[in-house]
Amino acid sequence: MKIPLLSATLLAMLLAVALAPAESPAKVTKVMGTPVSAITIEVFSDFQCPKCKALHETWMGPLINDYVRTGRAYLIQHEYPLPQHAYARTAACYACAADRVGKYGEVCDILFKKQQEWEKDGKVDETACSVLSPAEAAKVRALAKDPAIVAQVQKDVDLGMQDRVNSTPTVIVSYKGRHYPVDVMASYSSFTRFLDSLH
Amino acid sequence: MRKYAVLLLRLLLGLVFVYAAYTKLRDPWTLFAMSIDSYRLLPEWGVITLARTLPWFELVLGLVLISGLALRYASVAGAALLGVFFIIMIISYARGLAIDCGCFGPGEALGPKTLLRDGTLVLLAIALAVMSIRPRLRV
Repeated sequence: MKIPLLSATLLAMLLAVALAPAESPAKVTKVMGTPVSAITIEVFSDFQCPKCKALHETWMGPLINDYVRTGRAYLIQHEYPLPQHAYARTAACYACAADRVGKYGEVCDILFKKQQEWEKDGKVDETACSVLSPAEAAKVRALAKDPAIVAQVQKDVDLGMQDRVNSTPTVIVSYKGRHYPVDVMASYSSFTRFLDSLH
Repeated sequence: MRKYAVLLLRLLLGLVFVYAAYTKLRDPWTLFAMSIDSYRLLPEWGVITLARTLPWFELVLGLVLISGLALRYASVAGAALLGVFFIIMIISYARGLAIDCGCFGPGEALGPKTLLRDGTLVLLAIALAVMSIRPRLRV
């Protein structure tokens, strides 16, 4: 009598586990991870810069998965639109606005993916909003022009200037009060070797 | 006159090598490895080996130059090392790599300024090597 009961209990537990919704990873936001992490990684990038696109498409995904979501690093993504890039500041405003509706990662992905298209025609709005629901798009459009968002972008730029950022992308790793500017043209495996050596 | 020129050059180049070593050794070697890796010339084992050894070699070479011991060998080694660095930098710049020079720690972009500086150092190192070797050649 006990065996069928035990089997049924085990079966129920297995079913409960199988049917439970898969835990989705935390959304990508401008600031990710826990501030108490030993390592802080600051990224200054420009949506219209080809090397920032390369960095985003090669380093950022693995970095977020391997170090930020695991609590090993605190990631801050700063907007640093360069003056020679006509639509970079607008794109930065859309990304910051999207962060307010929890879609920073999605908007960053599409802006970098379609960089070569919108940098020609200036269709930042269409590109950014293509990954948003109509309600989200309306909110993001309004927020992108909000003085608070414009000021947020400018604050990132000012911080970059203060940190002597003179090109994009610039990645600065901070650990135990020391700041290390890293060469983003190195391979991701070189970067992880460096991060691992800090612990 | 030559004696003072040799003294000046070996002290200058010696201090440059010691400073270059210091800027690398004060940071984790893995940071310098990133700079080497960005040149995309060496396999991973080469990057690791060079990142671990080069700063120490620069330190020893700098100290030997400052001391004046084995000047013929040290000056030739210094000229050869700087020459190799300079050739690699020129090739990388010509390839359009927007990377850090890696010469004196991180955060210094490879560009005309760094090429001019390192080119000058190569010329000075060659001058020191020639002045150190020539007396021996005359014998």
